Amino acid sequence: MKLARLLFSIVICFTSFHYAHGEAKSSGVKLEVIDPFIEIHTGPGVGYPVFYTVEQGEMVEVLTRRTGWYELKIANQQTGWAKASQIARTLLPTGEPVDLPTISYGDYLTNKFRTGFRAGQFSGDDLNNIDFFSLSAGYQVLSWLGIEAEAGKLYDTNIRGDFYGANIVFEPFSRYRLSPILLLGGGNIEFDSQPELTPIDFGEESYYNIGLGANYYLGRNFVLQAGYSSYVINSENEEELERWNLGFNAFF
Amino acid sequence: MEFRLQRFLLSALLTLGIAGSQVCFGQSADEKPSNLKDVDTEYFDIGLFYGSMNVEDFTSASVIGINATFNAGENYFLQMNYLQSDVDLSSFEESQGQIFSGSDRTLQHYDVVLGYNLFQGEHFIYEGKALLSSLYVVGGIGDTEFGGESNFTYVAGVGYQVAFTRDIIGRIDYRDYIFKTNAIGDDEFTHNTQFSVGLSYLF
Repeated sequence: MKLARLLFSIVICFTSFHYAHGEAKSSGVKLEVIDPFIEIHTGPGVGYPVFYTVEQGEMVEVLTRRTGWYELKIANQQTGWAKASQIARTLLPTGEPVDLPTISYGDYLTNKFRTGFRAGQFSGDDLNNIDFFSLSAGYQVLSWLGIEAEAGKLYDTNIRGDFYGANIVFEPFSRYRLSPILLLGGGNIEFDSQPELTPIDFGEESYYNIGLGANYYLGRNFVLQAGYSSYVINSENEEELERWNLGFNAFF
Repeated sequence: MEFRLQRFLLSALLTLGIAGSQVCFGQSADEKPSNLKDVDTEYFDIGLFYGSMNVEDFTSASVIGINATFNAGENYFLQMNYLQSDVDLSSFEESQGQIFSGSDRTLQHYDVVLGYNLFQGEHFIYEGKALLSSLYVVGGIGDTEFGGESNFTYVAGVGYQVAFTRDIIGRIDYRDYIFKTNAIGDDEFTHNTQFSVGLSYLF
């Protein structure tokens, strides 16, 4: 009998555990609105119509988050979307504001992963305007420091190549929407097929690179990047390449 | 003996029970996330698509692919795609003989595109039910391997998406893959257009 009761309590406990777990996902934080009002849209975008306004002092419940938007459950049990910038000014039950409304881009991105792509051209003494594109993945260590790995492909009429490397990205003024970056890195470059008449001096070599560029924050976690880099190939005559590129990075 | 076994079983169950109730308690204590960082996010979706591609100078072929999308904001998204297609003989090849064969006939393509939601809206399937939708344009770059060549590829396209449920998104896409090729002879830019339908899961 005792055993049965014990088993029963365990079962109850685990079902309540599962229930609680299931609920936690849908029921989020409860917030008090301190703005005069918050507009509730039907979808996560400014283009979606406003169908309700939550007034000052009312409580809302946060369900999910998409970039720049929160889904809320409002008083009449309906759900709708509110801009993250408005939610940032609401209060938690403890009386603290939810988010600091004006933190720099860099601070916001600290400890976030990044992924992106670049496209542009390489040129040098023997090489002229070789198209390239690359994919990169990285991590923002500090507000002004990021690390990334980059792998790319090179294309020209008679040339095909690959490169891969790693970069350290310095961004000292990450509080500005448009901010300069310094890139230091190294890697490996390889040409699989070369022009028959005028082959390039090297097939596969390591390189190091230094670059300057700028980030333009299209959104809190979406960045347009343009830059110029100088590549020094560790071949016998230390060939130099230069690279122009344009790219996008997303942080998550 | 039986008693000992019972005692063993009971104590084992008791330990489990205590551990379980601790889990229970622990869970209910932090059931309500204390700040917005704990709120469930919906930034990514992954999906499958299927369609048809017109490979210039060859034939139209069915295409299957996968993609992963990062929704970077209400306006922009970044999408990675991989697709492949087995290209049949063109009418030229049918009469004149195959130009290349084997794995070279499998067109493989991957790319990264930047998408912009041009028109966001709602799709009303019946009264009281609105599905979030969007017409978007994409542009990007990638690599196409076909006919023993690897080519730098520009991608441009337009698409429409409808969220059937909270996390299932349907997409219709029309894309043009533009690359320079020597497969037929001259070094020329080819336009390879593709129409596809896809389903993605948002999480």
